[in-house]
Amino acid sequence: MNTQLSPSPGTGEPTRPDHRPAPVRETGRFDGQHRRRLLRADALTVAAWSSLAASIALWLADGGLATTASPAGLVTALGIVAGLAGMDLVLLMLLLAARIPFIDGAVGHDRALEFHRKLGKPSLYLLLAHGLLIAVGYGMAEGLDPVSEAVALWVLVPDMWLAFISLALFIAVVVTSLVAVRQRFPYEFWYVVHLLTYAAVLTSLPHQFSVGGLFAVGTWQRWYWLAICIATGAALLYYRIIQPLRATFRHQLTVERVTSVAPGVVNIEMSGLQLGLLAGNGGRFFIWRFLAPGLWWHPHPFSLSAEPVRTGPDGHGRLRITVRDLGRGSAQLLRLRRGTKVAVEGPYGLFSSAARSKDRVVMIGAGIGITPLRALLETTPFAPGQATVLLRGHSNRELYLGEEILELCRQRGATLFHLTGGRDPGSPNSWLPAAEHRAGYALADYVPAIAFADVYVCGPSRWSGNVLNAARAAGVHEDQLHHERFDW
Amino acid sequence: MRIRAAVSAALASAGILLVGWQSGVHVADTRSAAAAAATGNQASGTGTTDSSGTASSGSSGSGGSAAGSSGSTGTAGAAGAAGAAAKAGGTYDGEVVQTRFGTVQVQIIVKSGQITDVTALKLTDAEGRSMQISNYAAPILRDEVLQAQSANVQTVGGATVTSDAYLTSLQAALDAANL
Repeated sequence: MNTQLSPSPGTGEPTRPDHRPAPVRETGRFDGQHRRRLLRADALTVAAWSSLAASIALWLADGGLATTASPAGLVTALGIVAGLAGMDLVLLMLLLAARIPFIDGAVGHDRALEFHRKLGKPSLYLLLAHGLLIAVGYGMAEGLDPVSEAVALWVLVPDMWLAFISLALFIAVVVTSLVAVRQRFPYEFWYVVHLLTYAAVLTSLPHQFSVGGLFAVGTWQRWYWLAICIATGAALLYYRIIQPLRATFRHQLTVERVTSVAPGVVNIEMSGLQLGLLAGNGGRFFIWRFLAPGLWWHPHPFSLSAEPVRTGPDGHGRLRITVRDLGRGSAQLLRLRRGTKVAVEGPYGLFSSAARSKDRVVMIGAGIGITPLRALLETTPFAPGQATVLLRGHSNRELYLGEEILELCRQRGATLFHLTGGRDPGSPNSWLPAAEHRAGYALADYVPAIAFADVYVCGPSRWSGNVLNAARAAGVHEDQLHHERFDW
Repeated sequence: MRIRAAVSAALASAGILLVGWQSGVHVADTRSAAAAAATGNQASGTGTTDSSGTASSGSSGSGGSAAGSSGSTGTAGAAGAAGAAAKAGGTYDGEVVQTRFGTVQVQIIVKSGQITDVTALKLTDAEGRSMQISNYAAPILRDEVLQAQSANVQTVGGATVTSDAYLTSLQAALDAANL
């Protein structure tokens, strides 16, 4: 079934819309924001590569090349360089996972974590190479085999036993994060093992400063290395611990009521203070911890499904998230009690007006992925007629918050399509219901000017991928595509 | 935009590596110069001790050979004078000892017949490993020497070569100071 709703009369026929794109004249209101964001992303790329180059330059500046004359010296030198580069990548990974607003605002939380994951294997390989090459190189210099040399290092050199433990921890962390391994264990197991990263980094630090001459006392290299290690630690401490605590104490959120939206889907309304600070973040997500027995330690990433509503002085008000029973964790949320305290972190991500680059906007959501679009639709700037909303679900019942979205589309002058029905089992790459897919509909049939619009996509990852590919095929530039995973 | 990022990142990285390499060449030069000076120092033989007799704790460093030649006119003949100087205190450089991992030389500061400080002027630095051994062995040896007030101390485990060279050089300095 294909429902089409539009603010202007006369376009309601269920026939194929014509392909003539409206003349596109951009006001350029998002140009500055877009340019700044790309500049920040580029600056981050340059900073990351520069830090890697700097870690090797430290060794070069210490006259490292002069030590590569002998075979043993060359192997040792390669081992040192691998260790320096590996540690630099580990620090970059920590920074990418630190939820620093500058990084979040430039590339978004999803992509930051994507880079984080991409660096996992290279950094582990570099650290393994570091250990092996050093054992071989030192062994060659002393006429020992690498195993005896490794044993000698473990036994004789202070802090080296910690470094061996650190390497074992790094291996454990990366192996448990491999997709194939990760799927076999519950999220909590992976999470706890991942916390060992901090132990791995901390146990690796002593030998970096005490063993080897590069970071000897009094060298400027030591100061540089100390500075980047401390800065990374401080960023983690501030953005992952202090900021969330401050937000939690500032907003004093408590569960007000839990109402059913559809089977397995509930609205959780919370009241709190200074909620004005959270306004305008429609679409961005927060990490919620419901402080009830058995629940408090489980972090839940959900977007606001409506802008905060002010109900009293001091920014006293209510906000709302919409949650579907996707796993053990979220199933318990359906039975939350009134008055439960809530810890909050965020907002995170770039699924918001901050990512806009064009006047036109298209929002495409499926299932529970519709709910962040609801909040985005409420606040993101557009002129009447310049926004299109496409909602996808198996049935009308699965178009969560569909009534509210219809009302918002009416008020703001957005075009709304309901795309319901099962998918075509014969075409796994289609994002449309089977009937529309067989009829030959494409994205541009619903949004003729889609190539000149920002496209926000939220839904199951497979389906989102299909939508993004359809948008690319319709000529949407990569910078205009904004998507967010919600099946964590 | 991707191109802009790639080009800037490549330029910045290349620049940083170039600066590192340039300053590294400089460091390597000074190191080889120091090594050359060390061998020259050892070749002169007589100039290994610097019994200038002053109580200043300022290290005479690699200038030791020049000061030594003027300070001690004859090693045998000046023993008495050096002994008198030692009671007053002074700074003494030990012998330069060659090892397969590099050269070792220590300097002691003597006040009223007591060793008050031991400084390593040169330590094994042939490769990263030697350097790292030196870095952890030297403080241990220094503490032991200051406690024992002699070169009769345990060598540091895992740093035998460095320890032996260190204590040999130290013994020469002690001899020069007549302790």
